[in-house]
Amino acid sequence: MKRREFMQTSTMLTAAAALLPASLLSTTAVAANAQKFPAPLKPIIDGDVKEFHLFIDVHQQEIVPGFKIHTLAFNNQVPGPEIRVKRGDKVRVIFKNKTELNHTIHWHGMHVPWRMDGVPYVTQMPVMPGQEFVYEFLAEPQGTHFYHCHWGTLLHMQAGMYGSLIVEEDDDPIRKQFPYEREYTLLYSAHDVNFLREEMNSMLERMKERMYLMKNGRFNKERFAVFNTKDEFVQAVKDGYQPPYLVNRRAPDELPVPNWFTVNGKSYPMTPNLFIKEKENIRVRLINAGTEEHYLHLHGHDFWQVADDGLPVPQPWQRNTLRLSPGKTLDIIIEGKNRGIWTFHDHDTRRVTNNGLYPGGNLLALVYEDLPAKETELNMMAKKMGLKNLPIVALDE
Amino acid sequence: MNLLKNIALLILLTGVLHGAFAQVSPEIQLSARGVMSFNTDISDNQKATSVNDFSDTGLLLGFRQKLYSNFRGQMVIGLQFPDADSDLGQVFFHQTFLKIEDQKNILKMGRSRVRSALIEFPTLRDDDALYFTDVLNPFSSGENTEDNQYGNVIEAAHVFAQRYWLRVHGEHFTKPVQPPATSETDFSLNAVGLTLEYLIPETQLWNRPFIQQLGIGFNNFLTDRQGFSSQFDQTLKNILVSGIFNLKADPVYFVDTRFQVIYNLGFDNISEISNYFDLTRARSAAHFFSVRFLYRKLERPTLQLALSGGFKVFPDLTRETRQWQVIVNTFYRLGENFDLTLQLQQSQFSGDLKALYGKSETRIQAGLVFSIDQRWNKQFDDRNSLLNLEHGYIP
Repeated sequence: MKRREFMQTSTMLTAAAALLPASLLSTTAVAANAQKFPAPLKPIIDGDVKEFHLFIDVHQQEIVPGFKIHTLAFNNQVPGPEIRVKRGDKVRVIFKNKTELNHTIHWHGMHVPWRMDGVPYVTQMPVMPGQEFVYEFLAEPQGTHFYHCHWGTLLHMQAGMYGSLIVEEDDDPIRKQFPYEREYTLLYSAHDVNFLREEMNSMLERMKERMYLMKNGRFNKERFAVFNTKDEFVQAVKDGYQPPYLVNRRAPDELPVPNWFTVNGKSYPMTPNLFIKEKENIRVRLINAGTEEHYLHLHGHDFWQVADDGLPVPQPWQRNTLRLSPGKTLDIIIEGKNRGIWTFHDHDTRRVTNNGLYPGGNLLALVYEDLPAKETELNMMAKKMGLKNLPIVALDE
Repeated sequence: MNLLKNIALLILLTGVLHGAFAQVSPEIQLSARGVMSFNTDISDNQKATSVNDFSDTGLLLGFRQKLYSNFRGQMVIGLQFPDADSDLGQVFFHQTFLKIEDQKNILKMGRSRVRSALIEFPTLRDDDALYFTDVLNPFSSGENTEDNQYGNVIEAAHVFAQRYWLRVHGEHFTKPVQPPATSETDFSLNAVGLTLEYLIPETQLWNRPFIQQLGIGFNNFLTDRQGFSSQFDQTLKNILVSGIFNLKADPVYFVDTRFQVIYNLGFDNISEISNYFDLTRARSAAHFFSVRFLYRKLERPTLQLALSGGFKVFPDLTRETRQWQVIVNTFYRLGENFDLTLQLQQSQFSGDLKALYGKSETRIQAGLVFSIDQRWNKQFDDRNSLLNLEHGYIP
């Protein structure tokens, strides 16, 4: 049978055949998959302002079954809820700190007034335990952005303090060029869970001391390592002050090495599926909120890279692998042109591991909903093993 | 030929097994404490100096691993340089034990610290006030202070509501070797006990509670008391009560105080103390307390000053017999983990003890202390971390 004839035959079969197995497309499976994408936070409309409420608290996150970590979670979820607004909207975010740690929120990629930029001691004082801070800005520019904590950023971002911020445009050139109905947001991160645990404990202990001193009006520049000016700091060192970055003070003398890699707070096999149908376009918003570079490769397809840092690119770029650097957002359009179940993963395969064991990490799948169940059937040997059909969850290759 | 084949097969098989089942690396713990001091001792006007006393210097090596069902397993091996006048040799293996634990239960077996004290006091060396701070081992010859501190232990503990510790323990306390044997051969259980403690985890110190610790313990030594057949009459019973209170739980200028009372019910037929055997069996009440000031400049200890003291009375003796001790010391931190120290001890003895130890003893010590506690290949959190205590326990 020639390839063209085969394709025609299989298309005809599709019309009559049962589609994908229930394990992927049952109501509960689809609902569970939808939960793996950050749900948009519903705003309160206050006149012409869209008001959002975010809080931060310590939370437990199950990255995969059997493995939980303590996280810092916006509204008790990692990633935080998606903030989705229209370009030009007046946005107010009321941020409540329910932890015993300091925090801020930085609006990554947004053109906010500088006092709203969320950088502690540069644009604002940290939001201290129990405090509230109100961020206000106009939603500019359009596109895929994100928000994250900018206090103790190395720790706090790894600990889960990030979420997507989507600025929609009515006259979106991307949608015009590649009409789509469905879109997905994927936030990538990398975690050294041992660093997270040790540093969160250490920071919680330090903050108990510091808050007691603060409440009693006993702020001390050297103890808090906070100085008015660089000159004042330089003079303090000349006078014998030992900064915390010295190994005879507190520096650990080593950088964290991530051993868990997540998409939307989950690692394979709990990562989300991207559902698509034949001839459908889907938009995927990729956000790297972690510290590692990811080289994301889609099997069986090329895709169109249509936006970079939220902004539509002048000429969409056809490719099958892209580099998603820390802090970058990239938007891609996937065209439903090759029916099947296709993996979409980091080609630096060290990031496709859980605790150093392959497969895991940020491995996920593009799944054609209209894939005939017959195409997922397995051979006799597999059936003898008790396996039913593809895809199969394999944890130790 | 068959033997060679079998050996080859065995080597091959061992290799295959190793390849197929590579071991998961355990968490590795290393604790070390170096104590070097220059001592001057004055006992009844007799003066002696020691150029370098490095007793109490020791090393602990531990390995921990996650087990199935949320338990962790641990092995610890430790060695210590004993007092120069002990008969324990150059090096003494004071800790060799295995432990399994989950969030609320602990089982420990092996050579380790016995439950002869409920709390520790801020002295330079562990045994500086041993006659007050520890229940004395009635089986010992009195030659080695380590006999009172280390033994073969089996201990089960249960933790209620994060702060209440119930421990049931049995020990084999060291006995003198009976010739012609050259080392101990009988390791049967010769002590049992029970302790109940209310203990604030160290990580929650800055929650500034007033009560840091309250404890009560019962130690019972199963002796072969002559002339008594019932186990109850043969048992030497001790009751311990302790407390630690934060007088000023300030992160910079911290002050706490602590006390411990050990009441040895003794044997009522001991009316005089003429040797160590009598000392441990005479009815007595040992009281010890300390007040400690700790200055923490940049969230690390910088200077510690402590005043400790105690007295011990023996109510059943024919002659009034008492023992007093005062210890004043300071630790000044030269850098992370490294202290310069100065300690002054004064002891007084009266009654029967005067014949054994002289009227008084003065000891002045100046030294350096280096103490580290490090972990590598960290894999899981501890029961008492703030995350586990205040934000839900993760096994």
